[in-house]
Amino acid sequence: MKTIILFLAMTATVVAKANDAKYVEAMSKNIEAVYKAQTIEELQNAVNAFDRIANAEKTKWEPLYYSAFGYVMMADREKDNLKKDNYLDLAATSVEKAKKINENESEIIAMEAFIHLIRLNVDPASRGQKYSTLAMLSLEKALQANPENPRALMLLAQLQFGTARFFGAPTTQACGTVTKALEKYETYKSENPIAPRWGKETTEKLKQNCQ
Amino acid sequence: MTKSALTLFFVTLSVCLSAQIKIKGIVKDTKGEPLPGVNVMIKNSYDGSSSITDGTFSITTEEKGKQTIVASYVGYKTFEQLVELAGNEIDLTISLKEEINQLDAVVISAGSFTAGDEKRRTILKAVDIATTAGATADIAGALNTLPGTQKVGETGRLFVRGGTGNETRTFIDGMVVLNAYNPSAPNTPSRGRFLPFMFKGTSFSTGGYSAEYGQALSSALVLNSKDKAEMNQTDIGILSVGADVAHTQVWDKASWTGKVQYTNVNPYIGLVKQRVDWKTAPISLEGSTAYRQKVGKSGILKLFGNFNNSTFAMYSHAILDPTISLPYRLTNNYGYGNATYQTLLNEKWNMRSGLSYSYNKNDIKLGDSLLNETEKGIHAKSVLEHSLSDQVEIRLGGEIIDRNYSASRYDTISKQFQSRSFRESISSFFGEAEAYADKHFVAKAGGRFEYNALIGQASFDPRLSMAYKPAKKGQLSFAYGSFRQTPENQYVRINTQLSPERSEHFILSYQVISERRTFRVETYYKNYFSLVKFVNGNPYQLTNSGNGYAKGIEFFWRDAKSIRNVDYWISYSYLDTKRDYLNYPYAVVPTFASAHNFSFVYKHFITPIKSQVGFTYSYTSGRPYYNPNLSTEKFQSEQTPFYQDISANISYLPKSSLIVYVSCTNLLGRDNIFGYQYSAQPNSSGEYVSQAVRQPAPRFLFLAVFITISKNKSVNQLPNL
Repeated sequence: MKTIILFLAMTATVVAKANDAKYVEAMSKNIEAVYKAQTIEELQNAVNAFDRIANAEKTKWEPLYYSAFGYVMMADREKDNLKKDNYLDLAATSVEKAKKINENESEIIAMEAFIHLIRLNVDPASRGQKYSTLAMLSLEKALQANPENPRALMLLAQLQFGTARFFGAPTTQACGTVTKALEKYETYKSENPIAPRWGKETTEKLKQNCQ
Repeated sequence: MTKSALTLFFVTLSVCLSAQIKIKGIVKDTKGEPLPGVNVMIKNSYDGSSSITDGTFSITTEEKGKQTIVASYVGYKTFEQLVELAGNEIDLTISLKEEINQLDAVVISAGSFTAGDEKRRTILKAVDIATTAGATADIAGALNTLPGTQKVGETGRLFVRGGTGNETRTFIDGMVVLNAYNPSAPNTPSRGRFLPFMFKGTSFSTGGYSAEYGQALSSALVLNSKDKAEMNQTDIGILSVGADVAHTQVWDKASWTGKVQYTNVNPYIGLVKQRVDWKTAPISLEGSTAYRQKVGKSGILKLFGNFNNSTFAMYSHAILDPTISLPYRLTNNYGYGNATYQTLLNEKWNMRSGLSYSYNKNDIKLGDSLLNETEKGIHAKSVLEHSLSDQVEIRLGGEIIDRNYSASRYDTISKQFQSRSFRESISSFFGEAEAYADKHFVAKAGGRFEYNALIGQASFDPRLSMAYKPAKKGQLSFAYGSFRQTPENQYVRINTQLSPERSEHFILSYQVISERRTFRVETYYKNYFSLVKFVNGNPYQLTNSGNGYAKGIEFFWRDAKSIRNVDYWISYSYLDTKRDYLNYPYAVVPTFASAHNFSFVYKHFITPIKSQVGFTYSYTSGRPYYNPNLSTEKFQSEQTPFYQDISANISYLPKSSLIVYVSCTNLLGRDNIFGYQYSAQPNSSGEYVSQAVRQPAPRFLFLAVFITISKNKSVNQLPNL
């Protein structure tokens, strides 16, 4: 009897660990897919996978985060402004759900800022002030939650470059932020095996504006 | 381990290694077209897949028993079906129904221009109202470049499709605004009281508007104020005609903005010669305050107040002998407050309620005669909106508008005070239902029931509109409505039992909006009846026997795409109208109507000089005027020369928080004539002498510097200019 109970207890632990491993494996597979995706169709497939995992794992913020990331990438590639806004709305819904699970996660708040920046791009003349303000407020919160977050720094640099370019002002502040971002891409490592890693290439491209 | 334990172990193992089930099939829309990219999954499981280009999908799963298959795709209603997972393979055909997504569904656009609400396909953006050259940041001025409007330059008001300036009514957040224009000297243009910077959206209708709005024969100008602000900032404006300071304070769930503005045109007229003989050019002090608060999960409370005290004095010269002049002085005190509350009652019900109060007092002194006029009004309104389904929405509301008007005059000749006053209370109920057949067809039907306590009359006015979107881009729209409006105060005070003036609109419109280009053509017929008319030319005997008509066709083309950083629009209106009202002996073209109205508006952001440059060209064909020297058969048969104006503005941004703004109207200095006034008496030869009604000055030059102080360096007032 004792042996059976011990055996069943061991099986339970193995099953639990297996579930966690299953989650990390499924997430890792789809994270690779979303990073590698080139077309809107490929991105849609990855987003669909994340939405399914999010539906099954109601306590995890990462699937919603990557679902938002996928939609933002789709919005960026989409040429039709109406569809762009559509994708951004879907990204925003995923971010809202993620925020409910983890209120103070720097990566989620930085993703919110990313959505504001792409919205701005759809119509800079009308949306410039509103969305640059909202992006700035989100990035401040994201950096407060984690001052080492390289993605928040990269998005801040983008915002600063955009503003400087619009007013024909010097880019010193933006360049300072880019350097700091690149530094953090090297030094900052999250404990979470499926934490976001994207954005280094974009930051390196931004740095080229500083020579 | 015992034998039974081992058996248990192997049984458990075999259960875990149970057979996989394959779920496959195809996803189509209601027309039978395959849908790729659809997310097909087993509810609460990781298992699922996306449909490929031909709409087919294939899922492999180890789940068993009763499971729900979910299929979801943007723009379509999510599909769910319960299946029994048994056997080897399951084949499903999934049909997804289109969702009526507000962003690309058909929209009823006949007779309406919506600006703002950046996600919808609108013709104008909120910024446009403020950046149009020639308007000098006046809402009516900017809207005057749209089709359906008539340029009546000596008044500065909105005249729409053969209607007078009084026939356009202004609403802020759904609440009526009485006396929406600053008072002005005779034949000098007035400006709207509210600046574009306060509003996130504007809906300007040239006819056929919703049953929610009433007491406007021609047009409803619906302004939606901004929601809660996001950032603290202080704005300072130094203008050639005054100065203003505004401050915005933001809290977690609320924000407050206050503004004080002082305007004094005297230094300007000291430098730039004017045709008006000013004794004291307009001076005004204005304050406004706006408070927004989020209440609960979905409610928002908005409080708005505006106070204005203004005065001016001029000399009015007699036409026959200009050396005879009378001083004319006007002092105006104005206050407007409104409170609105909007919230979701639950998933399907939405409520908006509001209360507004207007107070307007004019004290006029002409020579030794005194006239004062006071109008006070309270408006209370409540609207419920309900989604019966995701295709049908109904709106029901009730409102009361209670107005008190009084005018008194001290006549120096009779040495007596005469006064007239009235109180009008109108209660209304309105209802409207909007139904989408699918993304391509929508119809809206409604009606407005009113009871006017002053005349003891009840009335019902139907409204109907529909729109059809045959292809992806164009849409066809139709609107019909019956409208009524109490005549102007100056007539009602003489005969308080006058019936409302009435109009009927029939409008047909076609528009195509694609990316950043818009094309629109609209045609209409308006029928006027029950207009105020003088009996036998006696202005103190009034009846409702007047009538008229207006018809026309309008074109609009806007392109923000073809030339980089350039946004332009062209609008043309043709108007054919006649009316028989007031002192007219028979139906003729009224003095405010012109057959052809054309505008070309151009805006260009020039990055190397960090400036937004704009210019506007306007042309209006001649307008009729009354010449008392002519016989009755030739009543109002002569026309003024055509009107033409080129205005320009430039906003220069040397730093992100600083804007230098210069604008000038009528660059070429054309001597535009709006009409002719005639002497009250004939001269010694028996002829009435005329005097042209001209612009107060050949040009109006305006300079301003705007400074914004805030934490975010990229914030400035450019969108407000």
